[in-house]
Amino acid sequence: MTRIRRKRMHCNNKELHQRYKSKRRTKDLDQIQEDLKPENKQRLLSIPEDEDLPGLGQHYCVECSRYYIDDRSLGEHRRGREHKRRLRDLKDPAYTQREAEAAVGLVTDNGRTLSSAIAGPQSLLLLKQKNDAVAAAKAAGTEKAMDTDE
Amino acid sequence: MRLEKCYFCSSTVYPGHGTMFVRNDGKSFRFCRSKCHRNFKMKRNPRKVRWTKAFRKAAGKEMAIDSTFEFEKRRNVPVRYDRDLMSTTIKAMKRVQEIRARRERAFFKQRMSGNKEREREENIKEIQKSIHLISTPTIKNKEAQKAAAESSRQMDLD
Repeated sequence: MTRIRRKRMHCNNKELHQRYKSKRRTKDLDQIQEDLKPENKQRLLSIPEDEDLPGLGQHYCVECSRYYIDDRSLGEHRRGREHKRRLRDLKDPAYTQREAEAAVGLVTDNGRTLSSAIAGPQSLLLLKQKNDAVAAAKAAGTEKAMDTDE
Repeated sequence: MRLEKCYFCSSTVYPGHGTMFVRNDGKSFRFCRSKCHRNFKMKRNPRKVRWTKAFRKAAGKEMAIDSTFEFEKRRNVPVRYDRDLMSTTIKAMKRVQEIRARRERAFFKQRMSGNKEREREENIKEIQKSIHLISTPTIKNKEAQKAAAESSRQMDLD
């Protein structure tokens, strides 16, 4: 028996697995959009010196949520492809659970739009009233017919 | 029984199925299967992944605008229980489902119409373009005759 090749299999790719660990999870786009609001941005850019962070946490890219060791590397990063791609991604509002639900037609409608005033339980109630009226009319009609028969 | 929708592909997540991820800011995400969870971990955008409901709806692959979608909505209006209303609602649900299925079928048919003709044209074009690759005797003979005729014509010209 020879050795079965175990290298370069997708399931054996340690790097990939480590990257997807939730302890290494980086910020999502919706969190970054929250960070980009002026008050949050100000807070993130003016943190006190932190020994655990690269460059004492003084050179931060808010869009990519990364610390750099100095202004030069931060500037280099700002010119790079990854940063520009991130800027492009941040232009659209982030994907939400609400959007996922809207894709299967589950939306909230509290009767503020015109179209909703017709559809829904109100419409069903109207339908029921109409059906009742028709039924009542029919019953009255049959009664009348019975009366005439008699 | 609470039926959730998958964050990534928008399919229904039944109790006891799927995974929930709670981010360290307290926001929770539900996934119907590990495929969706893995794609989320890769930070893919569901709007750009072609198999998600969000993509298919946005790209016009599925019926998105229709009056049958007007019925099923979260309305936040308490309705007093009424036996007749309940029975009419259930009847209406079945009827709406029927109508929607019919319209979806028609939509699909409409979307796929013209595919056959296009495919046929493409096939014919490909055959015409690369007929010389086929090495059946009849075609070979034809090609040889053509080449011979061409060469003789050239010689005549010379």
